[in-house]
Amino acid sequence: MRRALGWLARLLSPVRRLRTDEEIAAELESHIALHVDDRLQSGMTLEQARSDAWMKLGGVERTKDEYRDQRGVPMVETLISDISYGIRRLRQSPGFSCVAIVILGLGIGANAAMFSVVNAVVLRPLPYPDASRVVRIWHTPPPEQFGGVPQFSVSPANYFDWKAGVTTFAHMALYGLAADTLVGHGEPVALRATTVTGEYFQVLGASPLAGRLLNTGDDDPSRAHVVVVAEHTWKGRFGGDPAFVGQVIRLGTELYTVVGIMPDAAAFPEDADLWRPLVWRPGEQNVRGNHNYLVIGRLRPTADVRAAQTELTTVSQRLERLYPEDDKGWGAVVLPLHQDLIAGVRWELLLLLGAVVVVLLIACANLANLLLVRVLGRSREIAIRTAIGASRGRLIQQLLVESALLGLAGGAVGLLSAVGTVRAIVGLFGTALPRASQVGIDGRVLAFTTIMAIATGLLAGVAPAWRMTRGDAGDALKQGMGRGGSHAGERRVRNTLVTAEVALALVLLVGAGLLIRTLAQLQAVNPGFDPRNVIAMVVGAPPARYPQPAQRVRVFEDVVRRVRAVPGVVSVATTDNLPLTGGSTQPLAIEGEASRPLSEQPEVAVRIMSPDYVSTVRMHLVEGRDFTENDSLDRPLVVIVSASTARRFWPNRSPIGQHLTLGLISPEPREVVGVVSDVKIRSLTAGDTQTIYTPSAQAGRAFLAVVVRTAVAPQGAVSSIVGAIHTVLPDQPVLFIRGLDEIVGASIAQQRFTMQLLTAFAALALLLAAVGIYGVLSYTVRQRVQEIGIRMALGAARIDVVRLIVVEGLKPTGAGLVVGVGVAAALGRLLSSLVFGITPHDTLTFAAVSIVVVTVGIVASLLPAYRATRVDPLHTLRGE
Amino acid sequence: MTDTTDVWRGTLALMILKTLDTMGPLHGYGVARRIEQTSGDRLVVHYGTLYPALLKLEQEGYVASSWGVSENNRKARFYRLTAAGRRQLVRESREWALTTDILDRFFGPARS
Repeated sequence: MRRALGWLARLLSPVRRLRTDEEIAAELESHIALHVDDRLQSGMTLEQARSDAWMKLGGVERTKDEYRDQRGVPMVETLISDISYGIRRLRQSPGFSCVAIVILGLGIGANAAMFSVVNAVVLRPLPYPDASRVVRIWHTPPPEQFGGVPQFSVSPANYFDWKAGVTTFAHMALYGLAADTLVGHGEPVALRATTVTGEYFQVLGASPLAGRLLNTGDDDPSRAHVVVVAEHTWKGRFGGDPAFVGQVIRLGTELYTVVGIMPDAAAFPEDADLWRPLVWRPGEQNVRGNHNYLVIGRLRPTADVRAAQTELTTVSQRLERLYPEDDKGWGAVVLPLHQDLIAGVRWELLLLLGAVVVVLLIACANLANLLLVRVLGRSREIAIRTAIGASRGRLIQQLLVESALLGLAGGAVGLLSAVGTVRAIVGLFGTALPRASQVGIDGRVLAFTTIMAIATGLLAGVAPAWRMTRGDAGDALKQGMGRGGSHAGERRVRNTLVTAEVALALVLLVGAGLLIRTLAQLQAVNPGFDPRNVIAMVVGAPPARYPQPAQRVRVFEDVVRRVRAVPGVVSVATTDNLPLTGGSTQPLAIEGEASRPLSEQPEVAVRIMSPDYVSTVRMHLVEGRDFTENDSLDRPLVVIVSASTARRFWPNRSPIGQHLTLGLISPEPREVVGVVSDVKIRSLTAGDTQTIYTPSAQAGRAFLAVVVRTAVAPQGAVSSIVGAIHTVLPDQPVLFIRGLDEIVGASIAQQRFTMQLLTAFAALALLLAAVGIYGVLSYTVRQRVQEIGIRMALGAARIDVVRLIVVEGLKPTGAGLVVGVGVAAALGRLLSSLVFGITPHDTLTFAAVSIVVVTVGIVASLLPAYRATRVDPLHTLRGE
Repeated sequence: MTDTTDVWRGTLALMILKTLDTMGPLHGYGVARRIEQTSGDRLVVHYGTLYPALLKLEQEGYVASSWGVSENNRKARFYRLTAAGRRQLVRESREWALTTDILDRFFGPARS
């Protein structure tokens, strides 16, 4: 009980102390005074009495310390004093502190930035209530016809049967993407519209910024002229008008009443400009074989993804049996919406986060080395403190507090730099990064950074603190100032740290090298067309104004004619989907083969093109003829097939004159009139996609891309081209004006992003490793100044001294090289999904990276080596 | 100095209590001096152990302290025994007597 009370008193004492520091000092002072008085009486001189008193006291500091230890909870008490002592010490050597803080700031800053991205994109749930219950449902197409396509959009009839057949969903909604033309607010502009069924916003559970969102009932055709506008559109297009809700806006030819504003933070899809009710075309609800929509759902609180999956699989199997013609082989997959949205970047982001952690480890090793050198310089001070009774634990604690303080300061610097880095990352990633607008520094990032900063500081401090306090105090005293670290052991620790730095940097460099090579391989892929000097733009001939397909065909023919007359234009054509921007896939039946239901027919890509498209993008006509203006709606249907399509369906014979049917478009057979070379239409990494082209003039589409080849760079001709289009379609916006080369670039934007970031991190790692090599060698030179002096006195040439130091530097570099190559080779598997055209063990990459590392190692050694040659032999010899 | 001994920590508290019991209120230096004199200068009280021990006794409530003035007009902190300290002293002395008695039987001349 008494003991417990004593402990309690100590615990409370930082608050209500039994003794203040001043009191302790006063009591010890009075003690000495009494002692001296006493000794004076017994005949000592004042001098003797004083020295006797001090000796008897056994070290005032230690007494105070123990007194203090007894008085309060020692950890808390000493921690506070260590922190203030640490701050004082760091301020005494601003040079060292700055270097250490900058090194840590670089490492922690990169981590904070990368974590901000991962936090916002991967970790933070979607901004909806119970977001984990919001899911996406995809079709899974039959693999025989859709080899390699795991997920597919959904057909209306199947959606209705899913919705009716499940109990695990509280809400399910279907939506489509469309382009609307906003008229009446300056130039007509295209807005990205999402057309949604009634429960769409209930699935999300989102709340409006103003007004209301769409509800069940809004999709009733008689009431469907309402629209929810995105916050950014409201601000950007309508000046943030506070009385916006309730206004009427014109989209194309229709008028819509604005009922609400959707906050950008909760917008889905992220880039949507507006949401309006989906109005079915007559009969569309019964379409089962055409998959043009996307589906989301909200699970009941009692259900999980697995239960929903089981249920949908059962429903899908029933549909397969009921409607084999359309549904044979079509399944369904349920994925949490968040997971689905970030599927394309998740792995890359985690990989990059791993890379910055490695950068931080290198920074940490660097700091450890700096601290080690510094601590060795203090070995005399530490020896004295040990001799007068400081315990080892106290010394370690104090050193760790110092390095943790450095970590925190580095963290603060890092956080500042992260603000800029985050902006750069988001800018660089652009549209390739989902949820990019939400990336920022929040509480979680702050907590992560703080923990990271302290942990880094402590980690860096452990080795030096341990090494230093292990040494024999007397030894250090005898050796004198600054010589405490000449043991082979110290050098080994430092070299090990540098070896680790080099190895880690090499691993990152190999990763970056592999991605650089991958990008070069991607850029070397022949896409099957020549993207240079080709510009494309999308324009519409709205059915409201041009109800007949033939009218629309004529409009586009006019457009082509006008644009062709623009100076500098070489050729003009139209298509529905440019290469590498997606497009339709359709079942195909070959005349003369046994007829099969649509669901079992092979699938091919189907594209629309006008005459001259082949020459405009510089594909090659392999056989037969190009489309002409005579291939019109009132003429027999014709198609041109790609070479790979010809090889597949008409092996060893000419397809010209053969017939095929695109059953989803129309039941009439189409005659093959030509064969063209293959084009990469899906992605640069995919193989040849079997493609069938139909003539624009037989399709009568409302929206087409106008593709223009110009003699020189097309940017100068853009306004004349748009002007020419406007002479035919005066109030239609011209959308998505892009060079074909930009489209090719955008298709590999994500690979480029990952490559650039990893390269930046690897470069940072290399820089830090170089600093590490430099630091260790500088210290070595300082230590071996006498040896070098003697060598020079004995006739060593400067080049010999340089060689001595450079070889010293190459030892950890070489060791790091060997270790790093081994680790990189072992980790290659992680990158296998990201490389293209090379293996993760690409010899060229490994060789190039090794050369870079060795070169940097030598360069980092040269400055210390040069300094070594400046040693004055006489001076150093006299010095001893 | 070979014939002096460091005070065994466990016994220091008991000596302090006994000293304060015998001498009445005393400052730290006085306690140390008294213990050394009583031992015939064979014991050396390290002040580094004395003050923490005094503080510990105070925390446990066996002694109380307050500032006062010494016989030669020095300001000093005076320690005095509390009632709890007096009881503790009785208890500890009894235990100590028991311990020394047992040890005596081990090392003393054989008694049949």
